[in-house]
Amino acid sequence: MILFFFKRLLQGIPVLFMVATMTFVLLRFLPGGPFDREKTLPPEILRNIEARYHLDESVPEQFIRYLSGVLRGDFGPSYKYTGRDVSDILTDSFPISLQLGSLALMIASFGGVAIGLTAAVRHGSVLDRGLMLLSVAGMSVPSFVLGALLVLSFGLSLGWLPAALWEGPSYAVLPALTLAALPMAYIAQLTRSSVLEVMHLDYVRTARAKGLSERAVRWRHVLRNALLAVVTYLGPLVAVLLTGSFVVEQIFAIPGMGRFFVTAVTNRDYPLVLGATLVYACLIILANIVVDILYAFLDPRIRLDGAR
Amino acid sequence: MREVRVAFVLILLSCGPKGLSGGPGELRINLGTEPPTLDWTLATDNVSVTVIEQLMRGLMVLDADLQPQPALAERWEVSKDGRIYTFHLRQDVRWSDGVPLHADQFVFSWCRLLAPATAAEYAYFLFPILGAQAFNAGEITDPNQLGIRALGAHVLRIELEAPLVYFPSLTTFMVTFPGRADLIERYGDAWTEPGHLQTLGPFVLDEWEHEYRLVLRANDHYYLDRPPLDRIVGYMVAEATTALILFEQGVLDIVRLPPLEIRRYLDHPMYRSKPQLRGYYYGFNTKESPFDDVRVRRAFAHAIDRSEFPQVLKGGEVPSSSWIPPGMPHHNAAIGTHFDPDKARALLAEAGIDPETLPPVRAVYNSEQRHKLVAENVQAQWRRNLGIEIELENREWKVFLRELNVSPPALYRLGWGADFPDPDNFMNLFTSHSANNHTGWANARFDQLVQDAARESDPVRRQVLYDGAQRILLEEEVPIIPFFVRAINLLVAERVKNFELNAMDIFFLDRVVAE
Repeated sequence: MILFFFKRLLQGIPVLFMVATMTFVLLRFLPGGPFDREKTLPPEILRNIEARYHLDESVPEQFIRYLSGVLRGDFGPSYKYTGRDVSDILTDSFPISLQLGSLALMIASFGGVAIGLTAAVRHGSVLDRGLMLLSVAGMSVPSFVLGALLVLSFGLSLGWLPAALWEGPSYAVLPALTLAALPMAYIAQLTRSSVLEVMHLDYVRTARAKGLSERAVRWRHVLRNALLAVVTYLGPLVAVLLTGSFVVEQIFAIPGMGRFFVTAVTNRDYPLVLGATLVYACLIILANIVVDILYAFLDPRIRLDGAR
Repeated sequence: MREVRVAFVLILLSCGPKGLSGGPGELRINLGTEPPTLDWTLATDNVSVTVIEQLMRGLMVLDADLQPQPALAERWEVSKDGRIYTFHLRQDVRWSDGVPLHADQFVFSWCRLLAPATAAEYAYFLFPILGAQAFNAGEITDPNQLGIRALGAHVLRIELEAPLVYFPSLTTFMVTFPGRADLIERYGDAWTEPGHLQTLGPFVLDEWEHEYRLVLRANDHYYLDRPPLDRIVGYMVAEATTALILFEQGVLDIVRLPPLEIRRYLDHPMYRSKPQLRGYYYGFNTKESPFDDVRVRRAFAHAIDRSEFPQVLKGGEVPSSSWIPPGMPHHNAAIGTHFDPDKARALLAEAGIDPETLPPVRAVYNSEQRHKLVAENVQAQWRRNLGIEIELENREWKVFLRELNVSPPALYRLGWGADFPDPDNFMNLFTSHSANNHTGWANARFDQLVQDAARESDPVRRQVLYDGAQRILLEEEVPIIPFFVRAINLLVAERVKNFELNAMDIFFLDRVVAE
């Protein structure tokens, strides 16, 4: 399995290279540059700035300079936050998104599976319909609406939880719930439908026929197989949640890295866009490897390529 | 199971909002975003200015009425020809680490601002100094050729290329503050971090959690009385509605009102509003039909009823037909085109324009709610008063800026905020050599008047020069139509005393008291 892990990790390198290249090229196609200002800069000053950031070199030269920097772990200076390196900015903000995202991930996966399983077991009941209605709502209400509603009710009216800022564990509750709502709803639906599907398969009937308790059937046979679909979805979800969300960070004033996916683009802060994108891509690759390993645990029929 | 649930609820309740509100001596403001830098040589934006103004002082400082007053310089002399300024520095000024102020620190900072390798955006602020522009462009490399000299520890001698009456005003702006070569050498880019940064203003930097919060504390070495505030906490809450909730909860003491909320707070005792030295205008591309005809431009200007803007935007805007904004010296409310639809239609007819056959005119603005409201309003006014159809297009900000520089649309919106309170900062914009003049309009008479006014020390004669220049710009040639000036709208908690608003959105916190 370790061999499999490293093999997949190696395969990730060309993927990262592609991501870096595509992002770099696409950014240069974006009209408007980092130093286009409301107060237009005199030409001599613009020349000095371009020289400082090597923007006066040809695009291929800039790309090679960038790549060789990345290989040395240097993502370059931010154009917007003068004097700060992209690495510093991401090192400051990523741990915060990671904390918030992990919490949201836990809420979404455990909550979603629990809701989905309950609904499937009580298939057709009022509870089932109620839970599914809730999950459709969870998928359709955008996070800026849900976030605002949570802030107004629990933060402002009831005063139970802090409305915003990032001062301690209680400050993570409302943003984590906002962040988790959509994936939780989706996981609930996914779990419910695959549990229902699995419940009618032959091997479940066999399990029941050989006299296993209903509890054992559900946990050991049904859920384990039904979770395959959920695990597939978890791969990209991990990357999405752990890198933060612009909307949630904006509403709750949380200093995570999600904001940079939007503000760095509007500022044309090329190095910061590239840095954030590469972090995101790395997470996707890692999460997908973990998902593949989880497959093998959940379904013995799946063999890891390269594993002995 | 039941116990677990009860325990969970109890835990949630116990971690409700703690005592986050500031106590006496602590002020909590919302900066909105992370200051891009605290290096005053490189900073350009409003957030950085807000913080730096608390940390630093320059030769001069603006008072609450935006009049320049002596700060680090206790007095200065101007040579007869108006080209040489000699500033005499106070002898009792020390930095927060106890190092005394030295005239060399100005020479260092100003040379650093102008050095090409620094790549400072606001280097042009010191272009009036002898040799400065050539030095910045790399044409001369010896800083000794610049008109910046320290004559001993407390005398700074500045030689200008040409007389400039508002030069002392420039020294209130952050890029002209003194700097410490030793700190920049020792810490590199990290010299602005807490523990490294030394300053000489009323406050010093205590903590800086990037993208989240910044804490300032009173500077014990400040050369004037220690400020009444012990601490200033600046949060970076980007969402104005969230900031408002934090204000309502007592976490923040001063917040900016989101435009949609202003109406709700108009009669609130904590509501404060102040018009700014920040003009909002529409510009014409005077190189293209139909606006290559001055009569068409004047017709468009006369067809605008400016009193509609405050009703549409509801943010305390003040209509202004003058480009030098109200509140700025040499403002003249009588100047500019006034609403006169009959005259507008007559001018259009005189230019031979038939609104029926005129192809639609394109107006471009950057995507933002208030710009959209203004655009839709003027579209309706021009339709109503001239019968002309305007096609509105919006652009993302940077795309818009690039378009203005490369191929300006027939009509575009833009704004301008004062960097220093002198009319030259506004009038210079539309000279033929200004990079900010996107209209394609050039007028030698206008250029001359603006240049003469910048050198004229007599206020009465200066008024005549600016009136003349404004008449050319706004009544005769009309490359732009000024619409209004914007206002700031704040909520200030009752426990905050002595907080005065001014027309440049500068926070003067050195005399503010938090009870």
